[in-house]
Amino acid sequence: MMTIDLDGPGLWTTSVGSLPKPDYITKARSRFARGEIDRDELLQLERQATREWVEFQDSIGTDVIVDGEQYRGDMVAFFAEELPGLEIGGLVRSYGNRYYRKPIATSEVVRDKPITVEWWEYAQSLTEKPVKGMLTGPYTICDWSFNEHYDSRRDFVLDLAKVIRDEALDLERAGARFIQIDEPAASTRMDELDLVIEAMQVVTEPLTAHTITHICYGDFHNAYPKMLDIPVDQIDLEFANSDFSLLETFGDDAFTKYIGLGVVDVHTHALEQVDEIADGIRRSLKYLSPDKVFVDPDCGLKTRTVDEAKAKLINVKKAVDVVRAEL
Amino acid sequence: MAGRCETRTDERRRRQASFRPGRGLFAFRGGEALTIETTVVGSYPKPPAEGTTFRLRKTLHALERGDATPDDLEDARNELVREVIAEQEAAGVDIVSDGQARWDDLVTPFARNMAGFEIGGLLRWFDNNVYYRRPICTGALEWRGPSSVEAFSYAHSVASRPVKAIIPGPVTFAHLSVDEHYKDHEKFVLALASVLAQEAFELEAAGATIIQFDEPALLGAPEDLDLARRALEVVVADLGSAETVVATYFGDAKRLGTELFRLPVNGFHLDLVAGPENLELIREFPSDRRLQAGILDARNTRLEDEGVLAGQTDRLTEAVGDNLRLAPSCGLEFLPREKARAKLELLGRISGRVGA
Repeated sequence: MMTIDLDGPGLWTTSVGSLPKPDYITKARSRFARGEIDRDELLQLERQATREWVEFQDSIGTDVIVDGEQYRGDMVAFFAEELPGLEIGGLVRSYGNRYYRKPIATSEVVRDKPITVEWWEYAQSLTEKPVKGMLTGPYTICDWSFNEHYDSRRDFVLDLAKVIRDEALDLERAGARFIQIDEPAASTRMDELDLVIEAMQVVTEPLTAHTITHICYGDFHNAYPKMLDIPVDQIDLEFANSDFSLLETFGDDAFTKYIGLGVVDVHTHALEQVDEIADGIRRSLKYLSPDKVFVDPDCGLKTRTVDEAKAKLINVKKAVDVVRAEL
Repeated sequence: MAGRCETRTDERRRRQASFRPGRGLFAFRGGEALTIETTVVGSYPKPPAEGTTFRLRKTLHALERGDATPDDLEDARNELVREVIAEQEAAGVDIVSDGQARWDDLVTPFARNMAGFEIGGLLRWFDNNVYYRRPICTGALEWRGPSSVEAFSYAHSVASRPVKAIIPGPVTFAHLSVDEHYKDHEKFVLALASVLAQEAFELEAAGATIIQFDEPALLGAPEDLDLARRALEVVVADLGSAETVVATYFGDAKRLGTELFRLPVNGFHLDLVAGPENLELIREFPSDRRLQAGILDARNTRLEDEGVLAGQTDRLTEAVGDNLRLAPSCGLEFLPREKARAKLELLGRISGRVGA
């Protein structure tokens, strides 16, 4: 772990990872799927959208930038497509009329080339601010895939851990100072939290970058404080969608890591007002020290429209400025 | 309320003589003494086999754009139900389901149709990467007419095998919802039970000979077992001869113990894949109940070894004799279509019905 070399007293702003795709990307992806445009044409548009999002975050003064994942679909399938050993399976439904191709492990999963490094380098070339490396964690890739090869989930997860570790090392070599390894599946099965921890140890052990994991809603109250054993420098959590009720848990067991404080709900069109967000941050500071806090939305913003996401990010930044001035 | 109950009792008396008892299913075995009955837990993949048109999804998109009508959607859904039933029958499944082809999840089709519920945001469906919308109870719950009867009747009319009617159990329904009205778990569960009782009653009236109550949430809530018993007594109170089943899945019933078997139903589904410890419980399975054993992994594409499954089936037969019915571990919708079908075909082979 390296010291955080960011300006200011803390309450740094960032995003969890994904940002909405503008219409031209959504259309280009469908056209590409139908074979109407080639890979290169899609790539140019994805780079354009990435540039627009990096510039936007820069323009509002975001401290740690994300590339917005304009070139990713599902967060597990994106890696599965690039990893020998994982095949893209048939369609399964996630909800309503939404379906995804769930990967299948059919042989030993290995990594034969970097997956995210070029995109990270491109995004970093557009800004002076640090850009986060964004990876999906080994436990989540396992949990959201079928397994036809491994005898146990542990074997599967630990192979994936080596793959993600190698990707993280390549990001670090390229210059990434912040690397996020998302484990949204981690809070679904309490009896496997030890496996989440063991796998994360494999990933982060050789890293010197500031490491972060994002964990989505689940059985938080049972997972805490054991969750603090996950070997990362920072855990990113949703607070807004439970009206900051998680904070009370920190009264009994102090939060000992850096935290990613989700202060706006990503599942609602409604725009949280600056006062409301600032109030949430102030409440949090009763339990947390500002120099340990990164402020962001609850989760990836990809399900919102571009305008909704921008408005939320602007209000987060304004609220942070209000509270920073009070420190 | 008294009037309603009278009507229902009269109805029941009128129908009792003409209805086939649920236990009469062995008639479908056609004298093959060695075969074991098979069934499904409920859901079935909606996407078609690779390379064919996914009519339901297209129609839903078209409906959103205003390019299709609700009738088009109904046609697409009916076609899917026929396909799903035909596929189960071809694989040798004795007691089929409509694949829950019209539903987004287990609870919202019922919650949307009751007075007292609003539909909330998306939440994870147990430990799966699948979501459901959480019902929020904001007023007194009241039945406003059947939620699943039309769907059942359609499936019943196109199937050549018995169709299982499936509804959520009251405890699971409560656990998956938010109660902002009763502010008392027991009252909330019992209120759900009385609405579900009417649904079950209407399903039987429409010809259902087997009714399954899904109670996966009970596995994580052993403190609710006595409440579940009282609630299910309400649910089954007005049923005639329909066979009733409580289905648990996604884990083992170790924390419930053999007390589970005291619930007032004729049979139990136990998931032997996510809950291998259920094998312990099966040793003490009551002789007057039916075991619906979930032996095939409905959440992983790997096809089980036939020999291993046959051995397991033998042990189950030793434990419960004729009261055994084989099934996948849970609903098959977690799998792509071809994989689900392959699992059912394997189930058919294991039961000795197909390709033996």
